[in-house]
Amino acid sequence: MGRTVLLLWSLGPMLWQLYSSLRPTQALTGVGSGWTLDHYRQLLSAEPPFGHYLVNTALVGSSSTLLTLALAIPCAYGLSRLGQRPARQISLVVAAAAAFPAVLLFLALLEVARDWQLANNLLALSLPYAGLCLPLAVLLLRAAFREIPLELEEAALIDGLNLWQRLRWVLLPLIAPALASTALLVFIFCWNEYPIALTWLSRQELLTLAPAIARIAGSSVYTIPYGAFAAATVLGGAPMILLLLLFQRQIISGLTQGAIKG
Amino acid sequence: MRWRLWLLIAPALALLLALFIAPLLHYLWLSGHAQSVVTGLEPRPVGAQQWLRLLNDGRFWQDAGQTLRFAVCSVGLELILGLAMALLLHQPIRGRAAIRTITLLPWALPTTVMALGWRWIFNDPYGPINQVLQALGLQPVGFLANPALTWLALVWADTWKTTPFVALLLLAGLQTIPEDLYDAARLEGATRWQCLWRITLPLLVPYLLIALLFRLAQALGVFDLIQVLSGGGPAGSTESLALYAYLNAMRFLDFGYSATITLGSFVLLVLLGGIGAVLWRWRPLAGEWR
Repeated sequence: MGRTVLLLWSLGPMLWQLYSSLRPTQALTGVGSGWTLDHYRQLLSAEPPFGHYLVNTALVGSSSTLLTLALAIPCAYGLSRLGQRPARQISLVVAAAAAFPAVLLFLALLEVARDWQLANNLLALSLPYAGLCLPLAVLLLRAAFREIPLELEEAALIDGLNLWQRLRWVLLPLIAPALASTALLVFIFCWNEYPIALTWLSRQELLTLAPAIARIAGSSVYTIPYGAFAAATVLGGAPMILLLLLFQRQIISGLTQGAIKG
Repeated sequence: MRWRLWLLIAPALALLLALFIAPLLHYLWLSGHAQSVVTGLEPRPVGAQQWLRLLNDGRFWQDAGQTLRFAVCSVGLELILGLAMALLLHQPIRGRAAIRTITLLPWALPTTVMALGWRWIFNDPYGPINQVLQALGLQPVGFLANPALTWLALVWADTWKTTPFVALLLLAGLQTIPEDLYDAARLEGATRWQCLWRITLPLLVPYLLIALLFRLAQALGVFDLIQVLSGGGPAGSTESLALYAYLNAMRFLDFGYSATITLGSFVLLVLLGGIGAVLWRWRPLAGEWR
């Protein structure tokens, strides 16, 4: 009973979108029947094609994830070896940043983009994204580093491995699960981020998914293409649904760890 | 050795400071300057004028009230439903892992995608809700044309998306409670209701607090959902502070005042946090809940 309610609550709205996206417009607004792929064809052959937005978003997501990890791994390692007091204070700062509503930053970032010519540059978007994801990434990775016994690293030190070698061959393989969780959560955040993408990107062919969807939503006030709307939500939501189904264990453990360790 | 550790931490810390502290300082400076179409988009010092304007700006205070009401109602609802969901998922039912993943799906969707979807569901007269009403012989309802119903639609959509996250946190909390506690209570003849109030909830308090803090901070900055689902309408009745600041910068090109609004919202947020912390210290129920 409870199970059915839960599944209906979660899946109902999504199934309705899928259903609408496959019905001809007449069937949605009155009488009519049958099924169609027209809405998808229309989206995929629009100018620019919808697939373009997905590629842009995947690009921003990947580069931001790499940059976040590149900054968070050394930071988390440093914090985990720094001793109790300074590490605690810095962790507190990091936790405060994690709770900071990111939307407050968009005006300042708008000016940064304007003054430093970073607007409409997809790779530059990685910089604010990495900054916003750092708190969570550092918390998750620091917790993972702390669980590695110090003796293990000392043994590697005696074997003459330098810091880079110790990280590469001893420590990182040991925290691989935490790395995977962190990377996935960062990627999901970047895929879904809206306010900053909205202020940094204005050229239609460079939009990421979230502002593209908002623009589609605001574009047609007079003839409202419900079928196309529904098809856009299906295409825009499918990659994240797939990601969650494939990596459910890593994502769930990352989410719980992130909030509790923070 | 130690300075090398600091060297490892420095780049990340520098980016955090640049991203979180620098903007606040910049807003403080800009809130003392007019920078809009009137000044040719050049900053011109005006002293406290924009802060006085903010204090007397009915729209700012109205939006502050609307944002607070939205945040309190949706987070409250999310905590209650999230607890119910977590208790359900904690039970040994068949296909539990699969159900957990499915319930988390709404959380993974981009907010704009979800908001566009809900706009279609609440559509008048073709959305599914109105189809059902009409099939029952009732008049279709213009959900997004009525302030109260639009507000309800926003709370509903936010609850739908973020309850799974709250449930996941509380589920992690439930899994830390040893089963013996319940066995002992049952031996003493406690009812299920008493177990919930006397064992489960008190032990969940830290997890409830984490969920409350995270969600409240996010809900008070609500932007994506409102911009796409209602656009702040009808007649500004669902506009949030973030949306107001955004409109001032992007539509009215009044950057100075937008900075004042943003910083003003931040001050309100900090005040709210302070009040919350004081209330928590002082809580008259302290004995009951520890």
